[in-house]
Amino acid sequence: MTATTIGEATRNRETLTNPPLLRRFRDAAQDTATVTWRDMLRTARQPEMLTFAVIMGVFFLLLFNYVFGGAIGAGAGVDYIQYVVPGVLVITALQGAQQTGTGLASDISEGVTNRFRSLPISQGAVISGRTLADSIRNLIGLVLVAIVGLLMGFRFASLGGAIGAILLAVGVGYAFSWLGAAIGAKVRNPEMVGMLSMFWLFPLMLASSAFTPTSSMPGWLRGFANHQPISVATDAVRGLTDGSDAGGDVLYALAWIALMLIVFVPLASRLYSKP
Amino acid sequence: MTESQTIKIAGDGDTIIRADGLQKTFGDTVAVRGLSFSVASGKVLGLLGPNGAGKTTTINMLTTLIPPDAGTASIAGFDLRTEARAVRQMIGLAGQTAAVDEKLTARENLRLFGRFYKIPKTELAARIEELITNFRMGSFADRPAGTYSGGERRRLDVVAALVADPPALFLDEPTTGLDPRSRHELWDAISRLASDGTAIVLTTQYLEEADKLADEIVLIDQGETVASGTPEQLKRSLEQEVLEIHLEPGDEFQRGLKIVGDRPGLVLDSDAGLIHIPVVGGAASSLAVLRRLDDAGVALLDFQLRSPTLDDVFMALTTERASGETDRGATT
Repeated sequence: MTATTIGEATRNRETLTNPPLLRRFRDAAQDTATVTWRDMLRTARQPEMLTFAVIMGVFFLLLFNYVFGGAIGAGAGVDYIQYVVPGVLVITALQGAQQTGTGLASDISEGVTNRFRSLPISQGAVISGRTLADSIRNLIGLVLVAIVGLLMGFRFASLGGAIGAILLAVGVGYAFSWLGAAIGAKVRNPEMVGMLSMFWLFPLMLASSAFTPTSSMPGWLRGFANHQPISVATDAVRGLTDGSDAGGDVLYALAWIALMLIVFVPLASRLYSKP
Repeated sequence: MTESQTIKIAGDGDTIIRADGLQKTFGDTVAVRGLSFSVASGKVLGLLGPNGAGKTTTINMLTTLIPPDAGTASIAGFDLRTEARAVRQMIGLAGQTAAVDEKLTARENLRLFGRFYKIPKTELAARIEELITNFRMGSFADRPAGTYSGGERRRLDVVAALVADPPALFLDEPTTGLDPRSRHELWDAISRLASDGTAIVLTTQYLEEADKLADEIVLIDQGETVASGTPEQLKRSLEQEVLEIHLEPGDEFQRGLKIVGDRPGLVLDSDAGLIHIPVVGGAASSLAVLRRLDDAGVALLDFQLRSPTLDDVFMALTTERASGETDRGATT
């Protein structure tokens, strides 16, 4: 054993101090992959996180379809299971995204991230890896919820539409993961982050087109409800599942995702980098 | 590992860790005030001081966790402020400030940190096995870290800092809360690392630990160095001995205490009935104290005159905060 650094043996002083851009990029990608691997391993070790998200989704499906569905469906003049599954997919993705914040906060409060900070890694990778891992977990959860939906009589118009719908929901979850990460990086207390998440999750979830058509809402609320990201995403996912012309809605949803990423990626990174 | 010599030339001379006038202020409190020291390859520096003296703040600055307000520092020749990323490649951090992932096993934790150092896969696998064997972690290496005993957990904490075999190691209270056996095992491991050439900065609550491991001690109080030198130098520098008086706890103890009077550096243990009195001039001044106790009819159970320990140095040179809050180790 010598008192020198193994992994860096081949790097000279110059590349250590000021690595070339390409190398920096490759290192950041590798660090992100490592963090993703770590977070996936944690999910595998404690599958409750995944099960919880799926159970919530199934719970919403059962509750809305069998309890409220009759009333809402009659009022809206739609087959309610076809109406509600896209909403539940988006909400399930959001539940998963909310765990990004609590996960990051518990890493910070337990001191794991302190060790990360003392390591020669791209610090942004700690969040980008986590949001990626949470999205992969979300993807698995959404497929499971969709299968339960199929068992309850829901039908996708096409396979392509099914794939597109689930990917779009995962994409919305990814954008919200960065919002969660910003809250987690700021608050740094997992319980508090969990509570704060209710403040954005519930209003966005209920004042949306996820479970009920917005046409029955009062005018002042309808404006918000029609254009907030959950409704936009749900409308797009709904368009993809029933094979109607979803192009405009999908673009609108993608614009929301892009906007959220533009705001929350730098914000979360900056909040995290504070000691 | 022969090609790794390329990095070693980065250090200036033999010095691996160099701190020069480090300063850190939190709000109105100056946590660290112009701290300077250096650690050569193969040496252990013990950073001692009461709670709140600035030990952890110093470690946090030297490991790039927080930026210093003033002063400079370098690790293996890399500047802390301008070359932070290279510094991170040169250091390992373990202890109360840096945790491991509790859901992952020791093997997985080591693989995680090894991947962060960009150690090639096969080399990393071999390195992990080497560490697990050398630090006798085989019996628990495949259990999640959340299930570990205190000793197993601390061992993983330290070993996680060693994956890349860094030239500089920072151990922040590595043995706090360990049973004596685990503590001795960890001491052996730390000594081995130093003899292999690692420069180590160690903070500890146990002065016996500093006495045993440290080549040099920097004693800080309220962010400032109050004494530094080898453990022997520090003990000699006190120029005093300690008279230990053992009385029956209770009334007899209180009576004896009144006669001894209020003296600087007095250490009391009322439950055990012990009074430690720093005395200059050895036998003669001890005799004076004993005679006064005897004249007053206080019954001594026992007494002895002994050389000062690091504990005495610590008590003499650092200020006492709220009572019972000093970092006095469980070493007496």
